[in-house]
Amino acid sequence: MIELRDSRILVTGGTGFIGGRLIEHLVLKYGADVHALIRNFARAPRIARFSIKMFPGDVTDPEAVDRAVENCDIVFHCAYGSAGGATQQKRATVKGIENVLKASLKHKVKRVVHVSTISVYGKTEDGCLDESAPRRYSKQVYADSKLEAEKFAFSYYDKFGLPVSIIQPTIVFGPFGRPWTLNPINQLKKGRVILVEGGDGLCNAVYVDDVVQAMILAATRDEAVGQAFLISAVEPVTWREFYGAYERMLGIESTIPMSLSELGHSKQRHTREPGTIAQVRTAMREHPYILDAILELPAVARTYGIAQAVTPAWLQRRIKVALLADSPGTGRHPLTQTEKPVLPLTPSEVDFFRAHTRVRIDKARRLLGYEPAFDLEKGMKLTEMWVRYSGLA
Amino acid sequence: MNPRLRIAIIGCGAVAERGHLPAIAKLDGIQVNVLVDKNRSRAEELAWLHNVPHVVEDYTQVWDNADAAIVALPHYLHAPVSIDLLKRGIHVLVEKPMALNVTDCDAMIEAAQQSGATLAVGIMRRFLPSYQFVKALIDTGFLGKIGSFDMREGLVYNWPVASDFFFRKETAGGGVLIDTGAYTMDAVQYWFGDCKSLDYLDDNMGGVEANCEIHLQMENEVEGYVDLSRTRDLRNTATIRGERGTLEVSLRSSSVSLHPEGLDDAIAGNVLEAEAIQSKGESLVDLVKVELEDWVEAITEKRQPRVTGEEGRKSVALIEACYKNRRPLELPWLSPKLPEYVI
Repeated sequence: MIELRDSRILVTGGTGFIGGRLIEHLVLKYGADVHALIRNFARAPRIARFSIKMFPGDVTDPEAVDRAVENCDIVFHCAYGSAGGATQQKRATVKGIENVLKASLKHKVKRVVHVSTISVYGKTEDGCLDESAPRRYSKQVYADSKLEAEKFAFSYYDKFGLPVSIIQPTIVFGPFGRPWTLNPINQLKKGRVILVEGGDGLCNAVYVDDVVQAMILAATRDEAVGQAFLISAVEPVTWREFYGAYERMLGIESTIPMSLSELGHSKQRHTREPGTIAQVRTAMREHPYILDAILELPAVARTYGIAQAVTPAWLQRRIKVALLADSPGTGRHPLTQTEKPVLPLTPSEVDFFRAHTRVRIDKARRLLGYEPAFDLEKGMKLTEMWVRYSGLA
Repeated sequence: MNPRLRIAIIGCGAVAERGHLPAIAKLDGIQVNVLVDKNRSRAEELAWLHNVPHVVEDYTQVWDNADAAIVALPHYLHAPVSIDLLKRGIHVLVEKPMALNVTDCDAMIEAAQQSGATLAVGIMRRFLPSYQFVKALIDTGFLGKIGSFDMREGLVYNWPVASDFFFRKETAGGGVLIDTGAYTMDAVQYWFGDCKSLDYLDDNMGGVEANCEIHLQMENEVEGYVDLSRTRDLRNTATIRGERGTLEVSLRSSSVSLHPEGLDDAIAGNVLEAEAIQSKGESLVDLVKVELEDWVEAITEKRQPRVTGEEGRKSVALIEACYKNRRPLELPWLSPKLPEYVI
C-alpha cells in the first residue's frame, strides 16, 4: 500500500477534466505534493488555485517528461491527444505514454496509473461487459490510440516489471466535463438531440469523483498492479434519463425520440445517392481521420490552404458541415426558422446509443475496494450547482 | 520638430506583440528603439518583424538607448524596474497592475516626482469613450441617485501566456483579481468614488484565485457587487441602477444600453466621441494606440497622463484590501458533503 500523503505525485493532463478533478482531490483530501506537466498554460487557471509545481512541457517531448517524472513516486497519466488532426492526436496519446513509461522506469516510479477508456473494447454487445472482453479496434482515432497506449502500458509491466495500473472509465460526467456535460448542454441548447429508440439504450454514466476515487485506489493498492479496471457507477441508466437530467437542469425539452426505422429512413435516403461521392461521404462521416489524412497530403494541403485562404470562415463551416453531417431527422422533421435543428447522428453513433451494454465493476470492487459513491441523481445535483454557477443554465 | 521619442519595450510577451508593437507602428513621433527580454530569440524575432534596431536581455542595458520605456514584465517586476528607470529620468508606461502593493506604488510615484519623468499606468480601458460617458451620466445626475451596481467579468481563460508567471502568487501577486480586476476595480472607483467597506471571497486554495466575488459599500452609500472569473464566461458588463434608470455598459467595449425608469423600452448602442462620425475602433491595438498617444503627449507637453501613478495606485489599494480580507468562496461541488462520500 502506497501512502499518498508522503508521496510526490506527477499528473499529466492536469488541465483537463479528470486530471483537474484528480489534482483537487490529491491536494484537498490528501495534502499531496503534486507536480503537473502543462502543455498549455492558458488552460491552467483551475489547477493554479492550488500550491502545486507546474512544469511547462508536452508529453510528446521526452526531455520535458523526464524532467517532470524525476523524483516522483506516483505518476497519473491523464494526458491524451485531443488537439489537432488524427496524426497529431495519435502521436500525443501513443508517444505520450511511451515517454511517460520510459521516464517512470528510469526514475523507478512506484506506480503509474494510466487513464484509458471503455472505448478500447470497440463496439460493445448487449449484455454484461467486463475486463475479460476482447479489446477491439474501432477505426476511431481516440479509441484506437488509447488501445495502443494500453498495449504499451502492459508491455512495460510484462517486460520490465514497471508497476502499472489502468483504469477504463465509461461515460464520465461532472463539473468541467466536456464530452458528457458541456457537449450535451450545448447540444440541447442549440438543437434537438435524437433519443435512439426513445432513449432506451443503456448509458453507463459515472460521476467524475468516482473515477478519481478509482484512480487513487489504483495508485495505492498493491492488487492494482498489472491490471485494468472498468470504472462505472453501480448500475447504468438509460440515455433518456441521462439527457433528461440535463433537460431538467436547463428547463427545456429538446430531445426527440426516434425509432430505428425512422432513423433507417434517412439511411436509405443516403444509400440511394449515386456513386462514389456518397461512399466518400459515408467514409468521412464514419472515420473523420480519413478527412484529416487527405488534408495532410502535400498537394491537397496546398490546395486546401489556398481554398481556405480565399473562402470566408462561414462558408468553410458550411462546407465542413455538408461534408460530415448526416441529418437523419431533417427529412422527416423539416427545419423551420423557429425550430431548432435536429442534430445528426452517424450510423456508429446510432449503434452506440441503442446498445444495452451493462458494465460490470466487480473486478474494481474486488481488487481495489472501489465502491461508487454517486448515482446519476447525486452526481447531477453537484453538476447542476456548477452549471448554474458557470452561467450555463 | 522634436526628434522622435525612443522607446524601449521591456518584456516581450503577448501584450507587447499584440498591442504595443502594432500600435506604435501606427503612430508618428515615436519609435521602438530597443526590445528587452531575457528570452533573446523571442525578442529578436519581434525586432526583425517590427524593424527594431536593438535587442538586449537586461533592462539595465537601455539607459543610452531609450527616452521612455513600456514595462510589460511579470507583475512582481513592475515596481523595481519602473523605479530604476524613473530614477534615471526615463519616462515609464507600466502595464496594469501598477504594482503588487501600495508601498511599491508610492515608491514609483516618488521616483517619478524626483526625476520629473512621466509615469503613466496602462489601464487602457479608461480610453474607451464609454468609460467617460458613464462617469458623466453618474456625476451629472442623469441617472438620478445611484443605488447599486454589479459588474460581472469573466472568460474561460485564453490569453496566450508563455510561462507560469501568471499562475504563481510570488510573480503574479494573485489571480483574476489582480489581473482582470486591476481594470474592474479601477472602473469601480472611477465611477463611484472611494470604497468604505468590502467583503471579499475567492477560490484560492494555496495558489492563485480563478474566481472571486466582492461586495462593496461605497462612501456615497452606493452598494456594489463584482464577480470575476477565469473559468466562466460571464456577461462582461456593469449594470448601474439609478433612480431614473438602469444603465448597462460593456466593460470591454463602448457599447451601452439605457433603460429609463418607468418605460418599457430601452436604447442601446455605442458611445462615440463628439467629433467622431464612427467609432475609432475597439481592438486591443486601437486602445493601446490612444493610450500611447496620451502618454507621449503628456511627455512632450509636460502634462499629466490620463492614468497617473496616483490613479493607478487606487485599484492596487482596493485589490490589496480585498486580499487582506479574504474569505473562502463556497463551491459545493468541490468538497461535497454527502454521507456516503468516503474515499
